[in-house]
Amino acid sequence: MKRLSYVLAVVAMLVFAVCPAATQAAEPVKLVMWWWGEQEAPGAQKWLDETIQLYQKEHPNVTIEAVLQSTDSLIPSFQSAIAAQEGPDIQYVWGGVWTLEFVWGGGLAPIDDLIPAEELAHYINNFERTFEGKIWGVPWYLSGNPFVYNPSLFEKAGLDPQKPLETWDELIAACKKLRAIDVIPISGGLKDGWFGGWLYSILGRQPHDSVKDIMDAVVGKTKFTDPKHVEWWKRLAELRDAGCWNEDINSLDYQQGMDRFVQGQAAMIFGNDTFLKGWAETMGSWDNIGVMLVPKYANGKMANQYIVTAQGLGITSWSQHKQEAANFLMFLHTKDRLDAWFNYTGVLPADDRLDVSLIKQPQLQQVYQWDTTIPGPNLENFIPTMMDEQANFAGTQLLFAGEKTPEELAQMTQDVVDKWSEQNPEALENFTRWAQ
Amino acid sequence: MCTGEIYKPFLKRADTMRYRPYEPWLYLAPMIVALLFVFGYPVARLVMMSFQRTSKGQEIFVGLTNYIALFQDEVFLRAIRNNLTLVLNVPVMVAVALLLAIFLFERIRGWRIHQTTLFLPYLLPIVVVGIIFSYIFQLSGVLNEALIAIGLPQLALDWLGSPKLALWTVMFVIIWKEVGLGVVLFLARLMSVEEELFDAARIDGANWWRLQWHITIPQLSTVIEFFTVISVITMLSWVFNYVYVMTAGGPGNSTMVTELYVYLQGFRYNQMNLAAAASVLILAITGVLIFVQFRLRERAGEEEVFA
Repeated sequence: MKRLSYVLAVVAMLVFAVCPAATQAAEPVKLVMWWWGEQEAPGAQKWLDETIQLYQKEHPNVTIEAVLQSTDSLIPSFQSAIAAQEGPDIQYVWGGVWTLEFVWGGGLAPIDDLIPAEELAHYINNFERTFEGKIWGVPWYLSGNPFVYNPSLFEKAGLDPQKPLETWDELIAACKKLRAIDVIPISGGLKDGWFGGWLYSILGRQPHDSVKDIMDAVVGKTKFTDPKHVEWWKRLAELRDAGCWNEDINSLDYQQGMDRFVQGQAAMIFGNDTFLKGWAETMGSWDNIGVMLVPKYANGKMANQYIVTAQGLGITSWSQHKQEAANFLMFLHTKDRLDAWFNYTGVLPADDRLDVSLIKQPQLQQVYQWDTTIPGPNLENFIPTMMDEQANFAGTQLLFAGEKTPEELAQMTQDVVDKWSEQNPEALENFTRWAQ
Repeated sequence: MCTGEIYKPFLKRADTMRYRPYEPWLYLAPMIVALLFVFGYPVARLVMMSFQRTSKGQEIFVGLTNYIALFQDEVFLRAIRNNLTLVLNVPVMVAVALLLAIFLFERIRGWRIHQTTLFLPYLLPIVVVGIIFSYIFQLSGVLNEALIAIGLPQLALDWLGSPKLALWTVMFVIIWKEVGLGVVLFLARLMSVEEELFDAARIDGANWWRLQWHITIPQLSTVIEFFTVISVITMLSWVFNYVYVMTAGGPGNSTMVTELYVYLQGFRYNQMNLAAAASVLILAITGVLIFVQFRLRERAGEEEVFA
């Protein structure tokens, strides 16, 4: 009898030892996710709802509450959460400095220990979230900046729609031809500022070899008044003077500027590849959309690259369910979910396991090829936000208003960076460590 | 039983109910505690933060560093200048509201409809007003199209896109929206003025101007003071929504105001301590104005008593 009791006890212990997952699985887990993305990848909401349903079905003890944030509330809400050390388990984060400012503020946890290295190896653009050897978030989908054009308007203006513009002179000449047929050559909207940052990223890169050139200027090793950094302001002024832009650029938001292209009033736009599917649907056909790289005015290595950033998700430092959150993020990267993402949104996921045969449109095939062969960083993600807003946003507005010269704007940028360094010694220190 | 005997028990009780100075405070205590919790603590924390900076996750005392940084920041100084420029709205608003109130008080044809129409903008959400006027004032917007259509293309300007014009355009919208409150306040006061005052003045031969100068304005003086003070407070610390929706502080910071500056410092640039210092300054200026308002009202009250 004594022996039987002993055997039963051992069996019971073994059962509990072998099946801890089963007992843990019964423990209810609630994950809260604050996200953004429907704004630039329409269809993301449907995909996420479906994904959550599937995940909850597979993991009945897990409940996921996804809260879609507005563009304006995404960052302030999370900053408040960091201050309180209370909020979501999973937070949407743009790449580069947007992620790292949250890291430096104590809001995000590294994911290296939560996600196996062989899984991480499939994610595209991990470098944007890497700081001091650790990865601080999971890339979700790619957002790149093609120079988009309307082939039929090109044809009307006597330009060859099959031959994308390659040089700066060709771009200036194209502007003149398009103006001659009363079409806005390039449309944009600067009133809300964001497009000024895009312009910096798109044009400011060309004289430089790597993002380190930019970060060196941020941390004071070089100056934003150096000729290479002044050049993009001059080129932007050149485009303005050649009549390339819509005259009302300063009184329109970016969205309104974009509408000019979608309505067929403008022939080109510095766009975002996440918008392409939506534009094609609104414009009636993919035939109205062509993509090209930004025509070159300089010979830095970054002039030959395609700007691409991975929008991502981070796990918060205070989350009580970090591993469960990581498991859900890995689920987003399963084959079925990657393919479904592309089918819902037409946007490329930040993962090399996408079934590329799903990409039917030549324009998106081209974008995918650029993404995987000549990817380059988005400069906006490697500068302080203050520089972006007070120099790039404000500076482009002043340039188009004719209030400041390129040299004055370069000086203004340097002044903003100096001010930022003085006001933020700790951020400067972090940036310096990051730049190394 | 004599009268004294009747009241005896009550008198005895009154003797025991001696005045205890702490008693009113006991009644007020719950509200004071609630106010301290809701307002006192955040304000104290804000002031404390304005003298600190975050370093290695710790808040360290830095004295006046944040305030000095603010006054060295061209964008903040610009914001202060813009808020002060916005104060120029106040005399315009008072004058316009006064004139409109007088016209309505004189029962011009359809005055009730006009009264509602004039108050309507005040009821509309600022965001809605901002978005509508953003469209109207675009370079290719309705206003400019109308100006071109009537043969005045030289007046079709970039109202929101030009750094020289944007602030004045925002000021116009603020006046359009806020003046309705002044009209209603002034009209409500005028309705309570004795009609005989106006009749007597008319019999004495007072013309329209003298009537307004000697009766209407003196009768409205306290309400004008009140409206002036709250309008000044509005211009200094309550215009964020207008600016955020219509211009986002641009072009080139030309419409930056202190509230937007605080928002950007705190929530975009991650500099909560600088945002706190700027907030303390706004709070101090607004506090002084509220104090002035109370003093004015107190003085007006005293004058009425002596009159």
